[in-house]
Amino acid sequence: MSTQYWNTRKRLGKVHRIILYIAVAACCFVLLSKFGYTGKTSNVGVRDRTEFGSRISPKSVIRRHNLNKLKSTPNAAKNKERVLLISPMVRFEPAYWQNLLSLKYPRDLIDVVFILPRDNDGRDTEDKLRKAVADIQMNPPQTRFGKVTILREDFQNRVAQDEKSRHKFEAQKERRSAMARARNSALFTNLKPDVSWVLWLDTDIVETPATLIEDLTAHNKSIIAPNVHQKYRENGKILSRPYDFNNWIDSQEAQNLAATLGDDEILLEGYAELPTYRTLMAHLYDPAQDPKIEIELDGVGGAVLLVKAEVHRDGAMFPTFPFYHLIETEGFAKMAKRLNYQPYGLPHYLVFHINE
Amino acid sequence: MMLPAYNSHKNGEKYGKPTSPFTELSKRTSFRGRLVVMTLCLVLFFVYVFPSTLPTGLLRLISGPALPESVRFFDLSRNVGSAEGWKRNERILMCVPLRDAAPVIPLFFSHLRNLTYPHHLIDLAFLVSDSKDNTMNLLLSHLEEIQADKNEAMHYGTIDVYEKDFGQAIGQGFSDRHGFAAQGPRRKLMARARNWLLSAALEPDHSWVYWRDADVDTCPPTILEDLMRHNKDVIVPNIWRPLPDWLGGMQPYDLNSWQESEAALQLADSLDEDAVIVEGYAEYATWRPHLAYLRDVNGDPNVEMDLDGIGGVSILAKARVFRAGAHFPAFSFLKHAETEGFGKMCRRMHFSVVGLPHYVVWHMYEPSTDDLERMKEMEKERIEREKEAQMKKLRAQRYKNSFHDLKDDWQVEKEMIFKNTEIDYDKADVMKDLDASSKAETLAQQAAKKPAIDDDEVEDEWVSFDADPRKKAAQEATLKRSKLNIVPVDSVAEDDTMNDKKAGNEGVL
Repeated sequence: MSTQYWNTRKRLGKVHRIILYIAVAACCFVLLSKFGYTGKTSNVGVRDRTEFGSRISPKSVIRRHNLNKLKSTPNAAKNKERVLLISPMVRFEPAYWQNLLSLKYPRDLIDVVFILPRDNDGRDTEDKLRKAVADIQMNPPQTRFGKVTILREDFQNRVAQDEKSRHKFEAQKERRSAMARARNSALFTNLKPDVSWVLWLDTDIVETPATLIEDLTAHNKSIIAPNVHQKYRENGKILSRPYDFNNWIDSQEAQNLAATLGDDEILLEGYAELPTYRTLMAHLYDPAQDPKIEIELDGVGGAVLLVKAEVHRDGAMFPTFPFYHLIETEGFAKMAKRLNYQPYGLPHYLVFHINE
Repeated sequence: MMLPAYNSHKNGEKYGKPTSPFTELSKRTSFRGRLVVMTLCLVLFFVYVFPSTLPTGLLRLISGPALPESVRFFDLSRNVGSAEGWKRNERILMCVPLRDAAPVIPLFFSHLRNLTYPHHLIDLAFLVSDSKDNTMNLLLSHLEEIQADKNEAMHYGTIDVYEKDFGQAIGQGFSDRHGFAAQGPRRKLMARARNWLLSAALEPDHSWVYWRDADVDTCPPTILEDLMRHNKDVIVPNIWRPLPDWLGGMQPYDLNSWQESEAALQLADSLDEDAVIVEGYAEYATWRPHLAYLRDVNGDPNVEMDLDGIGGVSILAKARVFRAGAHFPAFSFLKHAETEGFGKMCRRMHFSVVGLPHYVVWHMYEPSTDDLERMKEMEKERIEREKEAQMKKLRAQRYKNSFHDLKDDWQVEKEMIFKNTEIDYDKADVMKDLDASSKAETLAQQAAKKPAIDDDEVEDEWVSFDADPRKKAAQEATLKRSKLNIVPVDSVAEDDTMNDKKAGNEGVL
């Protein structure tokens, strides 16, 4: 009786084993997908309150903040003013990271926010970023950043590659709109009440003066942007050329052009079809001039941009929609002007964009 | 004894493999191994379904090394809000702007206590600005009280209280705030306050943001769930306010929730870039359909209506709306500012903005200057009326005192004159004084005796029932009269009438 049973089992063994392997494989897959890569994030999402200790204790405390005492002064470092540094990140550039670490401003007074897209490239970037962040944040408190926040968000409305070439205008609009959303998400979830300044620093900015924050804050302007150039090699010599054309002074032609556009259309810089005749700060660079010279701007780029926190707190954000036919950082400049803040540019103070 | 049984079994021959107790044993162990693996799979599957059963340490082991204390990680696409957020532990940031709000704070906290959404999932953020009363201290003491409550379900999540003065040029009286000229600058300042509050308080793990004014009179305790269930990006209830009876009992309050109209768009085009259109003022005729006026007392509270501008008394919005950059414009955005501008901006960003016309939250009634004057007048009138009434009463008293009231006497005399008899006078009086039952009894007795009665007997009968000394005297007088044989005028006729009358009375009774 029992032999018959065991023999039947043996006959079925092969099938059983296959089913078993499939089951185990399925379980492994399920577990990996749950606790594997994405698990890192989902679990943190659940546990962050206890893990980082910053949010909740059994008996939650009542925190009181006096925003009347918050100041943004030209002597930012001396007055221990907190800077919120925000970098929307698509790729992790080691040169950018090196440059970030070379900044002289007291590191513990800098809170850093990275926002990454939620896709496969983003995961790769995130792994590298996590390693780099973990390294620096293991340092003693004086030499590490005050707080580092890594955010991940879906940026939908991605335009397919072939479509991009067909409607490069539309594509550009979508891309800038998604970028604006990323900037706003990072900004409005991290603008804590102790932040005095917000520094926007793109991850493709690989070279800035080490005293970037001190230099920019010293101007004591609500919004200030340095000139973004790009280094390149020609005949063995390193030269620089204008790169960021989003820092500009408006022109009558551009205004007239804008008047002819529909509500949902935008005016972009750098397209021959739309000659705006705006004065581009990138072209104003003169090495002989004083880098402290300021000019008033009407549109700004986001590559490097220092903003007093009060400007953002008053509501100046990066429009994801055409705002006076402007979008993202240019729209931000316009919105800030509507709130009576004047953006400034430093045409003779250079920072450098990566050369891909 | 068992061995031959194994070996001789024909199945063993059939598959060509000699079976021995030893191989059986090994198979048995491998089966056991499979059982273990199966169990493990089951356990893992169970853990997959209920991850909360896993201890945190083990979880961390699986999910890789923990980041240092100072590093936070959030996946924003997880905190986007759903229709039943309380089931998914979705956190709400509740923002409350306050200014000189001390009188309403106790009421506000009673509302807070009543909220049915899990309190630990709600983070509170208050902005106290330009307050001259003790709003701050009162707020803090109430917060401490609620967080120290014995019932832990009362405790809220994190609580932040911000102070920021914007230099208010405008007073906080009802008419100061609601006058037409004050609207533009006032709304812009309010907008700044709201933006400062939100940007400082919003955390990456918030899924919802709820804006609530402190001066709400009555509100359903389930408001958060009720609004959330609609799963809209931005949603507002209808705001009414109760009124004193002399003003009609109730009234639509928040006119900032509306749908855009052609007339208003034309008006907007005609205005200066910095102008702000405000609703509810005759200066700007917009002809917009207002949420407030569309209320039907018996309407379905779930009915939705698309809106373009919204009011700020009670707004539930998904946090992703604010993360995307929508805010309360402190400048003229499409000719609107603050909450109305917020509604416009959300629409511009393709978010859904919805109002519930038949779901009502009651705002507190604060009298306007006109109302206050009217109330003062009414109070004066009331006092005058009272005085007059007192005077009247006094006069009536004096009048009464200065004359003797002869009404009763006259009544009696009148009867006598009409009946032209003294007997009648007695009977009328007696009948008046007897209660119904004794009257009935009397009359029954009378009826029983009726065939045999004569005048004297009748008189005796009456005497026995009469306790009134005055009437007694009168009766005695009558008796005396009858003994003295003083026969009244037309006595025979009178007697007949008497009997008839008695019969009549009996009939009636």
